[in-house]
Amino acid sequence: MGSEPVGFESLYRETFGRITAYAARRCHSPQDAADVVAETFAIAWRRMGEVPEGEQALLWLYGVARKVLANHYRVEVRRQALSVEFDAEMADLYQAAPDSGVELTAIAQIFRALPDTDRELLSLVAWEELDRQQIATVLGMSRNAVRIRLHRARRRFARALAEADVHFTSASRLASAKGQL
Amino acid sequence: MNKIRDIDEITRALARVEPGKPGGHADDAGARKLLAAIAAERPAPSIGHPQRRPARRLVLGLAGAGLLAVGIAVGPGLLLKDSGTPSYAVTKEPDGVVYVQIRDFRDKEGLAKRLKELNVPAIVDYAPPGQWCKEPRGTLVRDIPRGLYSVPENIPGEEPGRGWQMRIDTKLFKPGQTFVWTISDNSTSTILRSGPIAPCVLVPDKSHDPKPPVKSDYRLATTKGRSLAGFRVDEKTVGEVLPEIKRRGLKVEYLIMAVAPDNPGGFGVLRTQTKPVGDDWIVWEAEESLREPGLIRLLVTDKRFDRNPVYAGPRDNVITE
Repeated sequence: MGSEPVGFESLYRETFGRITAYAARRCHSPQDAADVVAETFAIAWRRMGEVPEGEQALLWLYGVARKVLANHYRVEVRRQALSVEFDAEMADLYQAAPDSGVELTAIAQIFRALPDTDRELLSLVAWEELDRQQIATVLGMSRNAVRIRLHRARRRFARALAEADVHFTSASRLASAKGQL
Repeated sequence: MNKIRDIDEITRALARVEPGKPGGHADDAGARKLLAAIAAERPAPSIGHPQRRPARRLVLGLAGAGLLAVGIAVGPGLLLKDSGTPSYAVTKEPDGVVYVQIRDFRDKEGLAKRLKELNVPAIVDYAPPGQWCKEPRGTLVRDIPRGLYSVPENIPGEEPGRGWQMRIDTKLFKPGQTFVWTISDNSTSTILRSGPIAPCVLVPDKSHDPKPPVKSDYRLATTKGRSLAGFRVDEKTVGEVLPEIKRRGLKVEYLIMAVAPDNPGGFGVLRTQTKPVGDDWIVWEAEESLREPGLIRLLVTDKRFDRNPVYAGPRDNVITE
């Protein structure tokens, strides 16, 4: 993207993979994820003049997608644009359910029970691999607030896991569990 | 106790799509169709120049609270006919690529004729406000070849929102395909169809009109003749505003605004409440209820932004009285 004016099509092409991944990681059904992706890009299209350039564009879109998910922006009708193919393409992303192992199912339940903001902070770090400054941009909070809240979120998650008696001996064991998914 | 690194690692393991990796592919058929369908809607004019925006945009902004207040498409071009530039221009390159620029959305005959001269299989119809061509008019083409047409974009060197241009590669049309355009003051749709196309029969259809501001039960309270006339509230704190509202014997409720990252202009609604908010909260505008005279609704956020989200800048840029 660089300093070139960002055309919608290039924005779409460059961010589509990330936005679909973002939606798929957070929605229970492929149809919901498809709705979120469509609405997010439709908003971007309507507000093309406001989309920042470069890396910031992706963060801006994450912010919009998050609001679409939280229903701050109404997903009005299911868009005509959504085709059978697009639903199927989203469904492909759901093939390997992440919480298939017994242990991971338990963890996933605990994770889902965390407060929304905790979950989103942990996810943006672990799933989208954003740094604190980037997260601050997406969530519209200060970097320092992100630091503090992230710390608390990790602590709450750890505590909840400990209370449920879910323990992990090392990261390497998890890595192997992940390989089986 | 799990360490921080373990916590992140555990979270990673829960990701449906592998962390850091993209999900879908923009080149897949469904993804391409989605792009084409979104881009077939006319984009809203950029909000980059709020001072040029007529005041009625503000009404939309306020009334549309809950939607993307400023992001609603409002009619381009028509008022600007006297600018001396032609209402449309179509140019063809030797390789079959056609560039179309449209500034006046009413001259459908001229545009249709010019497209025909250049061998673009297109039908152009104009739909006046409140009407649209009756559907179905023909079979939608699902498999749109890549590069057949670009999404409409601003005309280089001109103020965004006045008109748009798009690029069409006439070589990529298949026999029997027609580009069906419906242009109006407020939106343009460009849809690729195949087979016979029914003529445009205008039927009442407001879905392409700009969202009317009538749904709101509230209107601006701080202009002449209204309940807070003569008292500016924008960019003040709640603590600064409340005494005057009380002095005038008015009741207060709060609309907690949701402002997108980077405060691009416009806002959503987190919630509306009568419960007091902090005195240090920031007021961006006040509205009065039409149903309940004497009720003021303050548009507030819990922190100060670099510019007023309601107006995408200073209120004075939009409201002049």
